[in-house]
Amino acid sequence: MDVGPCNLRPARAGGLQAVRGRWLTFRQSVSRWGTRLKGGPSWLRSSLGARLWLSACNQVGANTRTFWRPNIENRGRIIIGANVRLNSHWAPIELVSGPDGVIDIGDRVYINYGSIISAQLRVRIGSNVMIGNYCIVADTEIPGIGDPPGKPSIAPRQIEIGDGAWLAARVTVLPGSRIGAGAVIAAGSIVAGDIAPGDLAGGIPARTLRAR
Amino acid sequence: MTSRDSWNAVRARRWLRKCAAVGEGLRLDGRPTVEYYGGRIRIGSRLHLASRPVASHLAVGPGALLDIGNDVSIGCGAAIAAFQHVQIGDGTRVGPFVIIMDTSFHGSPGDQSLQHNCRPVMIGVGCLIGTRVTITRGATIGDGAEILAGSVVSSAIPPGVCAAGARARIIGRAGDPASRWDSAAAVLPNMLMASLGLDSPPDLDSGPIPPHLWTNAGIGAVLGAVHNRFGVELDPAAVREIRSFADIAAAIQRVLWEH
Repeated sequence: MDVGPCNLRPARAGGLQAVRGRWLTFRQSVSRWGTRLKGGPSWLRSSLGARLWLSACNQVGANTRTFWRPNIENRGRIIIGANVRLNSHWAPIELVSGPDGVIDIGDRVYINYGSIISAQLRVRIGSNVMIGNYCIVADTEIPGIGDPPGKPSIAPRQIEIGDGAWLAARVTVLPGSRIGAGAVIAAGSIVAGDIAPGDLAGGIPARTLRAR
Repeated sequence: MTSRDSWNAVRARRWLRKCAAVGEGLRLDGRPTVEYYGGRIRIGSRLHLASRPVASHLAVGPGALLDIGNDVSIGCGAAIAAFQHVQIGDGTRVGPFVIIMDTSFHGSPGDQSLQHNCRPVMIGVGCLIGTRVTITRGATIGDGAEILAGSVVSSAIPPGVCAAGARARIIGRAGDPASRWDSAAAVLPNMLMASLGLDSPPDLDSGPIPPHLWTNAGIGAVLGAVHNRFGVELDPAAVREIRSFADIAAAIQRVLWEH
């Protein structure tokens, strides 16, 4: 199954505006600065917070913001796109990458509080994805804790979440899952295997409730 | 051992200072909530208990025993409440947001009127408990068993099996690639919908397959899809035995296990 295109960040050739993925008209640019000024200290704090708290990441796009402090444990590679918002207000977000792990988060992604994203192999999250609170996206069976010594581990399997997908609250995405572009996963579901693009899926394990 | 590690070790000892016994090599990520209402907590060596991003929570009621073996790892957000006896065997790994309770309900300190019907929970050696599993009172999980994510365990699970579902049922052997949430029984409804041209994914427990679907063309389409997805051929004798959708899942599972 094809999970749809993943618009990775364009090259940093054209200055700050181009990094955000498209050129802005003068009017758009003015209105954008208007909202920032209205946001005032909160905009400043979240932008500076991202600079500070995401410094462990390998790459962070322009205008990415964090609300309160996320936990970042980067032993592999973490790439975060532009205009991403990470909300760690009531429980921190945890991004964990193992020695061979890659977390790749696209542009304009919103991740809500208490979510765990853990990669021992590869977790790819496309652009415009929304992830609800207390979600778990991990490519190993039990994220966050390593294998006890001398025990065979179950191999991690990579996870792909297509552009524009929406994971509601408390969704668990199990290893080897692929969620298509624009799919919606209902709250509390456990995703195992493939979800077709644009479908509404839910349940344990998640099945299609309404096809596109 | 860096100074940071030794500082963490000191802090971990302090946080668990009221435990009856704590083995060496303790590793805590973040501070767990530990509530003692007059019971004992015994912790073996090399426990790894995560409390980030969400704090884990251990509670022991009056006269109760929470017994955690060696080399146990427990993910974040776990809630373990012992009001009689909870035992977690050596080398067991417990995922995040797991709830393990040997009582139907536990109140706050001072309000102990709500503990009734306690029955001990026994978790064996080398078990694998997935994410967001709920283990209710009286549950017994045999050595080396595996519980898949999101399941609810309320009965006895024999050793070495893989169980899943709300009221967990045995779906295969532990550690088998076929006993996963995306194995035959989990994937089949969507596959049947596509290959038989149905409007919605059929319920596997819906009884005999309607004869107008189970024609030669239908059987061929399903077998083709099974081959594409699982890479196995079903035995013609087994195909003739199939009466319901659940039989298809069972037949696929049987072939997968023989591989």
